[in-house]
Order: sequence, then C-alpha cells, then structure tokens
Amino acid sequence: MRLNPDHFWTYSEWLFERNALRDGAVLSVTLALLGFVVGYIVSVFKYGPSEGFLRVSQIIGQLFTVDLPKLSFRRIFAMAKLAVKESIRKKILVLIGIFIVAMMFAGWYLDPDADSPARLYLVFVLTATNYLVILLGLFISCFSIPADIKSRTIYTITTKPVRPLEIFLGRVFGFTAIGTLVLATMGLLSYVFVVRGLDHNHELVSMDPTDKSGESSYNNRHRHTFTLNSEGRGTTNEVKGHRHIVTKVGDKVVIGSPIDDLTARIPIYAKGLEFTGRDGEKNEGYNVGYMSEYQKYIEGDSLSRAVWRFEGVQPTLFRDVILYDLTISAFRTYKGDIVTPVGGLIHFRSTDGKVKSEDEPFKVKEFQVDRRSVRTKLKGFKQDATGKDIATDLDFFQDIAPNGSFEVVVRCQDRGQYLGMAAADIYLRPADLQFWWNFVKGYISIWLQMFIVICFGVMFSTFLSGPVAIIATVAALVLGFFGFFVDNLVTTTSKGGGPIESLIRLPTQMGSQIEMELGNETLQNAIATADRGILLAVSQLKNAVPNFSQLDTSNFVAYGYNLFGGLLARHLTIAFGYFVLTALVSYFFLKTREMAA
Amino acid sequence: MATSLDQENRPLAHDSDPTQTIVETRNLGKVYRDFWGRKKVQALKSLDLEVRRGEIFGLLGPNGSGKSTTIKLMLGLLFPTQGRVFVFGKEATDVSKNERIGYLPEESYLYKFLNAEETLDFYGRLFDIPADVRRQRIESLIKMVKLEHARRRQLKEYSKGMTRRIGLAQALINEPEFLVLDEPTTGLDPLGTRDMKDLILRLRDEGKTILMCSHQLADVQDVCDRVAILHQGELKELGRVDSLLKIQDLTEIHASGLTDEAKNQIREIIEKSGGKLDRMDNPTTTMEDLFLEIVKESEQRPGRRGGRGGN
Repeated sequence: MRLNPDHFWTYSEWLFERNALRDGAVLSVTLALLGFVVGYIVSVFKYGPSEGFLRVSQIIGQLFTVDLPKLSFRRIFAMAKLAVKESIRKKILVLIGIFIVAMMFAGWYLDPDADSPARLYLVFVLTATNYLVILLGLFISCFSIPADIKSRTIYTITTKPVRPLEIFLGRVFGFTAIGTLVLATMGLLSYVFVVRGLDHNHELVSMDPTDKSGESSYNNRHRHTFTLNSEGRGTTNEVKGHRHIVTKVGDKVVIGSPIDDLTARIPIYAKGLEFTGRDGEKNEGYNVGYMSEYQKYIEGDSLSRAVWRFEGVQPTLFRDVILYDLTISAFRTYKGDIVTPVGGLIHFRSTDGKVKSEDEPFKVKEFQVDRRSVRTKLKGFKQDATGKDIATDLDFFQDIAPNGSFEVVVRCQDRGQYLGMAAADIYLRPADLQFWWNFVKGYISIWLQMFIVICFGVMFSTFLSGPVAIIATVAALVLGFFGFFVDNLVTTTSKGGGPIESLIRLPTQMGSQIEMELGNETLQNAIATADRGILLAVSQLKNAVPNFSQLDTSNFVAYGYNLFGGLLARHLTIAFGYFVLTALVSYFFLKTREMAA
Repeated sequence: MATSLDQENRPLAHDSDPTQTIVETRNLGKVYRDFWGRKKVQALKSLDLEVRRGEIFGLLGPNGSGKSTTIKLMLGLLFPTQGRVFVFGKEATDVSKNERIGYLPEESYLYKFLNAEETLDFYGRLFDIPADVRRQRIESLIKMVKLEHARRRQLKEYSKGMTRRIGLAQALINEPEFLVLDEPTTGLDPLGTRDMKDLILRLRDEGKTILMCSHQLADVQDVCDRVAILHQGELKELGRVDSLLKIQDLTEIHASGLTDEAKNQIREIIEKSGGKLDRMDNPTTTMEDLFLEIVKESEQRPGRRGGRGGN
C-alpha cells in the first residue's frame, strides 16, 4: 500500500489550503446556474418566457420559504420506516445469508501460503462487504420510487401534506438504516471470521538450554524460532506477518497467541524528505528508470543520502524506546550475491547537524515492513567548538530532538546498488490503535460509499424508471472513477485541441500534430475559447460525481495503518456534500413531476 | 369580450364568501402529450365548476370523459395545461391544502406489505398527527370500517371490499373537511355499497364536503346533492340532482289500498282533464332493496328461504 501526500492533509488543510471548500462552492454555483437554465428552458416550452420564469422562481423560492422550514421529522421517520419495512419484506436480509455462505467457502480459496494471511483475510472481507453493500444500496434505492409510481401508491403519498424533500429524505434514511443493519452484521461476522481464522497456537519443539533459543512446532504452514532473555521472556521471529510472545513458566515454555498481525499503526510521518547526490550536493534523488516517480533513489557507497525531517514529535508519546518502521526498496545494478540483501546505514541527528547518533546498519527487507527501534538513551556524537565529533552518551529528546524536531539520515552501503525511498517510507510508531476500532473505521468508509450510492440511486429514481436509474447510478460512479482522465484533458495541453476542434479535425482528416488551419483566425480563436470553456465546465462537473477509488480506505485496515481521522472527516464531508446535492436535484424533479402522468 | 385569461384571473368565487367554496376550477384544461411534446389527447376542455361547502358533488361520465383527470388536477397529481384550479382558495399544487383533504383513490393504492394498523399509522404520521391521537383514530376507524378481525393481516391478503374499506379509513385519518372519493363503491357487495352510501351521507351530515365520481349512476343518484356530467372532456350538465332528474310534464302518484273501481275513476278523471295515462301498475322494488331485505330477514331467521318470487 502506498500512502500519498494527500493522505496526510489535515482536515482544515484540505478544506482551505487545498481548496476543497472553494471547489465545492464553485461546483454548487455551477450546478445551480445550470439547473436554473435547464429548468427555465423547459418552462419556456411549457408556459412561455414570462410565466416560465415565474414558475421556476416560485419553485426555488418555495424551497426556502415553505418546503425547508416545514419539513416534518415525523413524516420523514414514517417514510424511512416504510422503506425499512419494504426492504425487509422484500427479503433484503437474505444478503446476510449469502455473505455467511461466501465466508464459509472463502477458506477454500484464500491462499494458506500467503506471506501475510491477515492482509489476505482483511482484503477479502472488506472487498466482499464493499461490493455486496454497494450492490444492495444500488438495487433498493433505484427501484423504490419507480415501483410506487407504477403501482400508484405514490398517489396516496403526494395527496398528503408530504414535501418533496421528505420523500427523498425518508427513502435515503430508510435505505441507509437497512444498509447499516446489513453492514453492521457483515462487519461483526467478518471480525469474528478474521480473528478466528488467524488464531493459532504453536508447541515447543526444541530448546537449546545454553543460549535459550528454541523452535516452535509447524502449524498453519509455518514455524517460528525465538530466544528468551534472562528473565525468561521473549518473542518469536516474524513469520507471515505475526509473532508470538514466549514466556517460561517454571520449567515449561509457553508460546502465546499471535500478535502484530492485526494492528492499527498510528504513524508519525516526516514533514519532508531531501536527497543529496553522490557528490554530496542536494538533488531530487535518482530516478532508476521506473515510470513511477513515487520513490527516489540514493547511490551506494557515496555521499548520496536521504534525509527525513520530523517536527513536533512529543517526548511523552515514547518511554524508553522509539519504535519506527522502515519500508525501503533496493535497486540492483548488478546481481551480486542475490541471497544477501542490500545494506544501509541509518542514524538520527539534530536539525543543525551538531548532534547525531551512531550509525546503525540494516539490511533491506523488500516488500516487508522492517520494524525497528532506537533507545532514548543512546550512544552518539556531539560536535565541539572546533567542529570535531566527540563520542558521548546522548538522550534522544534532550540532545537530538530538544524541541521535537530531528532528522533521520539513511545511506546505502553497497557500491553500485541503490536504495529507494519516499516521504512515507519511514514513520514513528508511538502506540498502536486498537485494531477493532480501525476495523470499525474501515466499515464507516464502506458505509459512506453505500450512503452515496443510495443518495444517487434515489435521486435518479425521482425522474427515471428503476432499470434506467441503476444504469445512470453506475454510469455516474464509473465517470467518477475516470475523473483523473478529465483532469489530464484539462490540465495538460493535449494535441489536437478540445472537443470542437477535434470534431473538425476528424472528418477533415487533419493530423493532431499540425496546427489547425481554417483560413479564418477569428473563427479559430472562437473555437479555442469555446473548447477551453467546455473543458473547464467538464472538469468542474466531474466533481459532481463521486470518485470511489479515493473513498476506498480498505487498504488502511488491511495493511494495518490507522485510518486517519482527518481523512475520514474529509470523506464524511464529501458524502454530506453529495447528500445535499442529490437532495436538491431530487427536490426539483419531485416538485415538477406530474405523479399521475 | 372576456378572454379565457380574464376568466382565469377573475376574483375567486370564495372571495365573496370564503367559507362556501371548497373547489373552484376556471377554464381548466388538460392535454396529454407524448415524449416529444406532441399532443396525444385533450382530456379536459375549459371546465368551470365549483364544489360548495357541505355538499356531496358527483362527477359523472363514461370512461375517458375526464372525471379522473379532473380529480387528479384538483389533487395536484397532474398540472393543468390551461386554466387554474383552487382548493380551499389555494393553488392545487400547494401541498399545504392536503392537510384538509382525504382521498380515496380508485383502486385503494396502498402498500400491500403493511397491515391495517400499520397502514393507518403510516398515513397518520404523514399528517403529522401525534401518537396518542393517532392511536385513538386508528381504533375508531378500524371499528368504523369493520376490520377489527383483520387488523393485523397484511393488505395483500385482503379481499377487494376490505381493501376498499381500509382505503376509506386512510382517507379519513386526518378528519378531513373535504373528501375526494374516486369510485367509492367499486368492488363492494350490495351490503358494503349500502354501508358506504350511508357513511357518505353521514359524513355530509357531519359537515364534510364530498366530491365523488362513479360509474354507478344509482349510487350517484342516491347520495349526491349536485352533479356534473362530463363527456369527451367537456362539461355537459351541472346542477342539483333533484331538479335535473325531475320530469316537468309527468305526474307521479303513489297510493295504496285502492279498489279497481277507484282506479277506474282516476283513469276517467285523467281523460276528462285532457291528460294521458301512460302507466298504472303495481310498482317493483329495486334489486338493491330486495337484496338488503332478504339479507336482513336471513340474519333474523337463519335457515329459512324467503319465497317471494313463487318458484
């Protein structure tokens, strides 16, 4: 899993500095204007220009003067309760049964030899739940209102003092309630499935009394080795993403339940990463030729270094040891001894570089998290007045990071080999969050996706028939998924121009590499301006559909990272934004629709 | 010359006496169009009528005459393409008017997965009625429509008559001032029909205004104070039932205990005075009255056959 820079934005940073609020406001205004214009054009055809304008204005006015102030929670609750009953009587809860059956047979297909069974189990349950719940949301939300219109039960609703928004809200809340029930049940079953599926025990097979090292039995397709300390305690080596605590009770050695497989690390990430080249000068890190620019590389056995800068790290978060995780990759320019990993050196230093710890060697654990630690009381060097390093005992938070700021320096030891890293490849682990809470947060993420699907489904069903509403909802989701493509179109200067220019180029067989020549400069300028306008509008409108790939946070849970509160708050805000958007669109369609037509 | 627009914008009838007019349509028209906006059918043409407080108003007409369209326009289920319709002085599209209206649709379009209690509770909530009042009304309405035995059964198990009765109960949950009944006796047996007609009259006596449309001309004749007859979307007749049905140059005498001699004398008097005797005979009762009488007797003396008709 890769953490992107945008994952670390705080909520306020995202809202204000990254312009989420501004983009949301622009989108709202654009859609409001577009809605007014479309509504007016339709009204002009029906009632004429002046009467049409009056009617559209009336509908907008009534939203704020009557329909919003007179919303009744009793009516909304009644509609929601009806939606729940409808779903239950349509045997929606059978879905839970399907899920249970899927889990019963899942064991057959989940690879027992996987490096990280926990990740495999979690990805399975989260993905299965996600798809099932989104499908559930899609089907229950798209068919309800069209079914009411078809059976004419809607007559008995709209002839009561029910406001259009109440119809929308009742449906959305009702379906969300039933979806929540299904999701919560699936979540609980999944949790039990994962925890029970991963739980296993080992027996002691052999123990060397001299160095107190031992080996466990071979269970669940793996075995562990361990070494006990003088107090008779220890942990096994990490195999398949977990360890076991080993304790000696009397003459007996007890190997406990697995630990570290279901975690929720709360990483403290560096504020920045800088590189120096082989000559010791600052650079942007080497690119070893991969298309992805996520990681940059430092060269082995040279002055090339990677320097992470940490700020505001609280000493109270740590006691005697600072835990940190390293996920560094290696790039070999020669094969060499393929069994021996590429080596590196790591040390911690103060931001002015005058105090630093001793270099600690490490071997790169590719595709794995290297769980490391450094003691707060450590050996290192302090520069004296002449700039000479004097070996001394150090206190991490007094000498290296007196104000919580420090740097981590990594070098590559092997000549001709490279180490690759990105800003998120090292982080401190003050304490882990309870896994179950992270698991719940992962399900909240799925819940948000379901909620958005329900909002869109109900919105489309206010003016489309059930099957068409499903297609429209799925289309909106797919469009959102390919939003990045629209961004590329708008932000990059693509060859061949915008939509109008392309339309001219295609039939005239004009190549995209040559300038368009129409023989009329004014016309060409007009086309270019119109193209820019269209692309700008499209780039705004693509925000009107949700990007589910961004909302999917299941990897955080599966890879054992705490799902940041800021990220979840952003997703909550996005979901609320879509809720408001779909509510308004539904209001206008329900308000202007002839239910008996 | 007054234009249709002038007609639409003239002061409301209720402006002079706002309490007396419940519904007013002005030059009301409806054209159904297809997806492309092409005219399919003109369902209603320039309808002007009023429904007054406290009366039972009947809408009559064959299929496709515009009865249901008129009701749907009044309820805001359709929007007029011409003219306007006011209910309680408000535009028909104004949702707040619905607080004072009860509506029994043609086929009792209710949620089949709910039972009688749930149905009434649901519609009661839509009127924002507090829980205790709702409970009380549900009790009395279920009793009134005689569904105590089936109150917990889902509506999908109901017969057509039972569905009609629960439909009527939901229309009364808000104790409406104005009741719109679309074919209220459809699907009811003669007993149910009689109950429904009695109930309609009782509701009128309680001060409610009722608009009903029906194919059952006898029902309309029995209960309606005024009727409007529509045909092909046009209003053909409007007035009080008694005056519309009265045949001015025909005299009806009902007498009992006359001897044949007395009957002959009556014939002579008619001839002398220049009149023409069309018919003098023993009248027949209506099939409805006969049926009701038999059922009543059967309830009093079970197991015995009547024997009115000889064989």
